[in-house]
Amino acid sequence: MGASRYISSGLIEAYVSRLATPQEAQELEIAINQYPEVATAVEDCRLGMEHYIMLQSVTPPTVVKQNLIRIIADEEAGKLTGEEAEETQIIEDTPGRKLYVSSSWRWAAVAAILLLLGSLLLNYIYSARYSDYQVRYDALLTSNNTLASEQNVYRTRMEQLEHSLDIVKDPSMQTVKMPGTKSFPSSLATVYWNKASKEVFLMANNLPQPAAGKQYQLWAIVAGKPMDMGVFDISTDTAAILQKMKSVDNADMFAITLENKGGSPAPTMDQMYVAGKPS
Amino acid sequence: MGTALTYTEAELVLGLKSRSEKHFGYLYDHYSPALFGIALKVTNDENIAGDVLQEIFLKIWRSIERYDTDKGRLFTWMVNIARNTAIDTLRSKAHKQGLKVQELSSNSTGTEQFAVHQSVDQIGLTKVIEQLNKEQRIIIDLAYYKGCTQDEISKILDIPLGTVKTRMRNAIIQLRTILKQL
Repeated sequence: MGASRYISSGLIEAYVSRLATPQEAQELEIAINQYPEVATAVEDCRLGMEHYIMLQSVTPPTVVKQNLIRIIADEEAGKLTGEEAEETQIIEDTPGRKLYVSSSWRWAAVAAILLLLGSLLLNYIYSARYSDYQVRYDALLTSNNTLASEQNVYRTRMEQLEHSLDIVKDPSMQTVKMPGTKSFPSSLATVYWNKASKEVFLMANNLPQPAAGKQYQLWAIVAGKPMDMGVFDISTDTAAILQKMKSVDNADMFAITLENKGGSPAPTMDQMYVAGKPS
Repeated sequence: MGTALTYTEAELVLGLKSRSEKHFGYLYDHYSPALFGIALKVTNDENIAGDVLQEIFLKIWRSIERYDTDKGRLFTWMVNIARNTAIDTLRSKAHKQGLKVQELSSNSTGTEQFAVHQSVDQIGLTKVIEQLNKEQRIIIDLAYYKGCTQDEISKILDIPLGTVKTRMRNAIIQLRTILKQL
C-alpha cells in the first residue's frame, strides 16, 4: 500500500481513535516509519484528537492533588530510607487487548520452535551415540592396555629366554645334570657352569613348589665341604629360564636341598632333592 | 492549555525524571483537567474518575523513566496512560457488577454529562457538539473513550463492519474541520 492509500483508507483515523485492530495498528506503524507523509498525517490527526480531548477538560476536585502530593512525598521519603516503592505494572498501549503477533513472526516462531526441537532431538541422538562411543573407546583402550602389558610380559620373557640361550651357547659352558635323589626321584635340575668366567646358572627343570617358609638352596661341594651357592624360588618360568647363582672356581659336585627361607649355613641332608657331578 | 508555560516540555520531562516534586505539581496543574476529562468520559462517575485520576498521575510519576521523547509528545503518552487506566477501571468494575461494556457505553453516549460537569472550555466544546452529528460523536466516544472494537461498534450502531472505519474517518475529518474554525 502506498502512502496516499494509507492516508485515504481511514486507517489513520481508526488508529488515532484507538479503533484499529492490533494488526492494522502494526501495519500502520510500519508505514509511519516508511513514509514521512503518513507520519505527518498521523500526527495531524492525533493533534486534532488531542484538541478534542482538551476541549472536554474538567477541573478535578482539589483533594486529588493533595492526595498525590502526600503519596509522592511519602514514596520519595521511603526511597531515601531504602524502602522499595511499590512496583506498578503499566500497560501503555492497549488495555486488556490480546497481544498481536504478525503471521510472519508466527511462522518464524514456529520455525524457531521446530529448529529447537530438531536440535534437541539431534542433541539427544548424538549424546547417546557419544556415550556409546565413549564406552567402546574405553573398552578398546583397556584392551589395548592389556595387550601392551601382555606384550611387555612376552618381551621380558623372550629377552630372558634369549639371555638363557646366550648363556648356554657359550662354548666354555659345562652342563651338570642333577637327577633326583632316592627320596625325590622325579626331581631334576641342571647347573650351567662357565669354566672360564666361573659363573654358575641354575635351571630347575622339575622341582616341587616348596611349602611356605621354605626355599631351595644350591650347594657346591668343594674339597668335600658344602659351599652355599644361594637360594632360589620356584616360579612358572624356572623350568625354562636360567637363574644366576654365586660363582665358584672349582666344584666336585652340585646339590639342592630344601631349607628354611633365607637358606642355611649347612645343608639338611635328608632334604636333598637333586645332586650331580660335573663330568 | 491557555495558561502561559514556564517550562518547555523538555524541561518538564527532565524535571520529572530527576524526581522534582515541583515539576510534578506543575504537570498536575497543567494537565489534570484534560486527563480528568478523559477519566470522566470513560467512567461516567465523578468519584471513580477522581480515583482514576490519582492512579493516572501516580503511573506517570512512577514510569516517567520509561517515557521516550523520540517516540512522541509527552501529552500523547499521558493521554494513553489516562485512557488505558480509565478503561481498565471501567472494565474491572463492569466485570464485578456483571455488566457488559456495551451497556455502559450505550447509556453514556448522550450529552447529559456535559451539563453536569463544568468543562474548562465550555464554549469550544458546545460548538463541536453542535456541529458534529450524533453518530459521529458516538463513534469517536465508543472507540476512544470506551475502548470498543470495530466489531462492537458495528453491533452497537448496527452498521456493517466494513463501514466502521469509513464512518470514523468522516467523523474525524468533520471534527478537525470544526476545530480549525474555533
